[in-house]
Amino acid sequence: MALAADAGAIWLTLKLASVVTVLLLLVGTPLAWHLARTRAWWRRPLSAFVALPLVLPPTILGFYLLLAMGPQGPIGAITEALGIGLLPFTFAGLVVASLFYSLPFVVQPLQNSFEAIGERPLEVAATLRAGPLDRFFSVVVPMSKSGFVTAAILGFAHTVGEFGVVLMIGGNIAGQTRVASIAVYDHVQALEYAQAQWLSAALLLFSFVVLLGMYTLKPARKMA
Amino acid sequence: MDAGQLAERICVRIALTLPAFALAVDLQLPGRGVTGVFGPSGAGKTLLLRAIAGLEPVATGHVEINGQIWQSDSTRLPTHRRSIGYVFQESSLFPHLSVRGNLEYALQRSHRGRSVTESADLLGIASLMSRIPDRLSGGERQRVAIARALLTEPRLLLFDEPLASLDLHGRGEILPYLERLHDELKIPSLYVTHAPEEIARLADHVVLLSHGSVVASGPLQDTLARLDLPPPFCDTAAAVIEAVVAGYDASDRLVRLQFCGRTIYVPQAQAPTRKRVRCRIDARDVSITLAQQTGTSILNIVPVLIAGMTEIEATAQVLVKLDAAGTPLLARITRRSWDALQLAPGKPAWAQIKAMALVG
Amino acid sequence: MKALGAVLLAIAALASFQAVAKDSVLIAAAADLTFCLDKIILDFRQAHRDATVDVSYGSSGNFAAQIRQNAPFDLFFSADADYPRNLAADGFAGSPVVAYAVGRIVLWSATLDASKLRLTDLERADIVRVAIANPLHAPYGKRAQEALQASAMWDKVQPKLVFGENIAQTAQFAQSGSVQVGIIALSLARSPELAAQGAYYLIPDSLHAPLNQAFIVTRHGAENRLARQFADYIQSPPARKVMRASGFGLPGEASGTAH
Repeated sequence: MALAADAGAIWLTLKLASVVTVLLLLVGTPLAWHLARTRAWWRRPLSAFVALPLVLPPTILGFYLLLAMGPQGPIGAITEALGIGLLPFTFAGLVVASLFYSLPFVVQPLQNSFEAIGERPLEVAATLRAGPLDRFFSVVVPMSKSGFVTAAILGFAHTVGEFGVVLMIGGNIAGQTRVASIAVYDHVQALEYAQAQWLSAALLLFSFVVLLGMYTLKPARKMA
Repeated sequence: MDAGQLAERICVRIALTLPAFALAVDLQLPGRGVTGVFGPSGAGKTLLLRAIAGLEPVATGHVEINGQIWQSDSTRLPTHRRSIGYVFQESSLFPHLSVRGNLEYALQRSHRGRSVTESADLLGIASLMSRIPDRLSGGERQRVAIARALLTEPRLLLFDEPLASLDLHGRGEILPYLERLHDELKIPSLYVTHAPEEIARLADHVVLLSHGSVVASGPLQDTLARLDLPPPFCDTAAAVIEAVVAGYDASDRLVRLQFCGRTIYVPQAQAPTRKRVRCRIDARDVSITLAQQTGTSILNIVPVLIAGMTEIEATAQVLVKLDAAGTPLLARITRRSWDALQLAPGKPAWAQIKAMALVG
Repeated sequence: MKALGAVLLAIAALASFQAVAKDSVLIAAAADLTFCLDKIILDFRQAHRDATVDVSYGSSGNFAAQIRQNAPFDLFFSADADYPRNLAADGFAGSPVVAYAVGRIVLWSATLDASKLRLTDLERADIVRVAIANPLHAPYGKRAQEALQASAMWDKVQPKLVFGENIAQTAQFAQSGSVQVGIIALSLARSPELAAQGAYYLIPDSLHAPLNQAFIVTRHGAENRLARQFADYIQSPPARKVMRASGFGLPGEASGTAH
C-alpha cells in the first residue's frame, strides 16, 4: 500500500518535471531569443526578472505564488474568470509554479546558445532568401542543439528537486501534489526512515537514468 | 535612352550615418559586368555593399537594380527579398551542414532550377560535396560560398573582399574561377577590394571610395588614369592595359603580347592560359623619351602622345597622362624633366615601360 | 602571518564569550503554540532580564525526529504527548514527561462565517477545499481526521482535503482563501491575527481523542539551569492564565472554554 503510494509520488514527480520541461522549452525559446536579440531598454530588467528564481528562496517564491494564485491575487482572478477555479493545491498549480521556479534554468542556456551564434549566420541565411521564421528553424535551432539539450536537462533536474515551492502551495494531495520530495519529507517526519531511504534511492535512480538519456543527445564536443 | 538601356543599370543613392562614420554615395553603374569598389581600409566599401544588400537598417536612399526597386523613400525590401548573392569576407558557410548541405540550402530557396552540379563544376568543388566546412581550406571554403551564392539565381552578385582572408596560394586558387564567372555568367557584380591587382584583373567599371564618399566612378582604364585623383589613389597611380597574347618564349620565359601595334614582353614563369590578358603598369615604372631609344635594356617601348600633366604635391615629381593609341598610360617623372624635355599636351613621345605585371 | 594570528585570537575570544553566556535556552514548540508561547516567554523575561530565550515553531513530529538526531533544543513542547513519551523511552529526555495543556480543534474560515458551520456542512458544494494538518505526523491533523470519521464525513470530505505540513501552515492555507475552510487549532483561531479575520466553530471533543499536549526538558537541556526555570514557569499560575486565555484546557481542570 505504502509502496504504491510512493511509486505514485515518483511518477508524479517525473510527470511534473516532463510537463514543465516541455512547456518551458516552448515558452522559454522565444523569450530567450528575444533577450538575445533585442536592444530595447527592457532587456536588462527583463533578464533580471527571469533570473530572479535563481536567488529567491523557494519558500518565498511559493508564498508569493500562493497569494497570487489565491482568490485575491492577479493569477487567481484570471483563472477564476476563465472558469478554471483556483490553482493552489492542484497539479496545474504546481506546473505554473514550476514554470516560474525553473524558468532561468531553461532560458539562460538557450539565451547563451543563441548569443553565441552571432550575427553572421543569420545574415548569410537572409542573403540566401530565408525569411525570419525560416532563419530561426533552419539556422538557429540546428546551431543551438547543445543549448536546447542543456536547457532541457537543467529544467528537468531542477523541477525534480523542487521542494520549498511545492511545500508552500502543494497541500500534499496524493496523486495531485504529493511529489517525491514531499513524500520523503513526510516519511522522515513520521519517523519512517526505511521508507524515506527507499523512496530517495528510487527517485535518484530514475532521475539518473533520465538525465543520462538526455546527455547522450548532446552533440559531441569538437576536438579543435 | 531607350527602354532596354534604361532597364540595364544599377542605381545606388545611399546615405548612412553611424556614430563614428558617415557614408553618402550617388552612383549610376552599368547593369552588367564587374564593377570594382576600390579604396583604402575604412573607406566604407563593406558598408556600401551591406547597405545595398539591405543588411544596414539605418541606411536610407534609393537602390534600383536593372529595373527592380529594392529601396526607395516609400519602400524597403528586407534582405531575404532582394535577389542578391553575397560572398562575405571570411568563411560564412553553415558549420552544421556539409558542402552539399550548404549548397542545397540555397537551392531549396531559389525558384528556378540551376542544379547543384552545374555550380559545383563552375567552381571546381564537385569532389568536396560530403566534407564539412571545418575540413576545407580557405580557398575551398570561398569557392563553396561563391557556388552557394550563385544557386539563388541572383540578379546582383556582391563580393566583399572575398580574397582578403586567404593566403597567396588560396588567392591564386580562386582568381581563375572568378575570371571564369565573369566570362561565363551574365550577372552583374559589385566587387569590393583594397587590392589593386584584383581590380585590375576583374573589373570593367570601377568606383573609387574614400572616407565614405565617391572619389571617382567610371570605366576601369579611364578612371584609373585620371590625373585628378586625391591621395591615396594618386600615390599608387597605375594604368591597366589590355593586350592579346601572341606567343610565349619558353627559353627566355617571356610572354609576347600585341599592344598598340607593337610587341611587348612580360616576364612570366609559365605560359599564359588566356588569349586576352590585362597588364597593370605602375606610373613609377614608366619613363618618357622624345626619340625612340636603341641599345637600351628596356624591352617595351611604345609611341604615345602627351595627354596631360598634374603636379604631385610636396614632391619633385609630376604625373603625366599618355595616350597610347587610345589606351591611357601614366608616367611619373620629375618636374625638372618635364620642363627640360619641353613636354606639353599633344606632343608625341615614347613611353618606356620598365616593368609590368601580368594580371591575367 | 601577524594578521592571521590576530584573526585567530579574535575568533577564540568570540567563542569563549559564547561559552560564558550560559543563560540561554532553545525551545522547540508545536505550531499551535505560536502566539500563546510568545506571550509567556515575554512575561518570563520580565523576571529573567539576562536570559536569552529562542523558540522554533513547527510540527511536533518534525521536532521529535530532529531531537533524535541531537538537535540542540533544550525544551520540547509537543502537541501530542506520544512524541515526548517515545523520546523519554529512548533516552532522549532530561526530565519526566509533563502535561501542560489540552488542545481543541475548530472549523475556521476567512471567507465564510465559520461560527455558523458544522462538520456536516463540509460536503456543501460551495466548500471546494478543506485544509487539515497532515494526519501522518501532525497531532491536530490526526484529531481532525478522527472527528471527520466520527461524524461520518471522512469519505465525503476526503476528495476535498488539502494537507498542511503543520497546524500553522494549515491555518495559513485557510487564511489565503484558497481553501474555504480549515480545521485548525483553537489557540490559533483565538490569536489576534486570525480572530480579526474570521470566526470559529468549536468541534465537540467527544468526536476525537484528546489533544494531550506534553513537554520535556531534553537530554541536551538537562544541565541547563534556565531550561529548568522555564519548565517550572510554564506550570505556574501566570503562564496557565495565558494558556487558558488562548483556549487551552489545563491538566487538572475541565477542558473546553467559553467563547
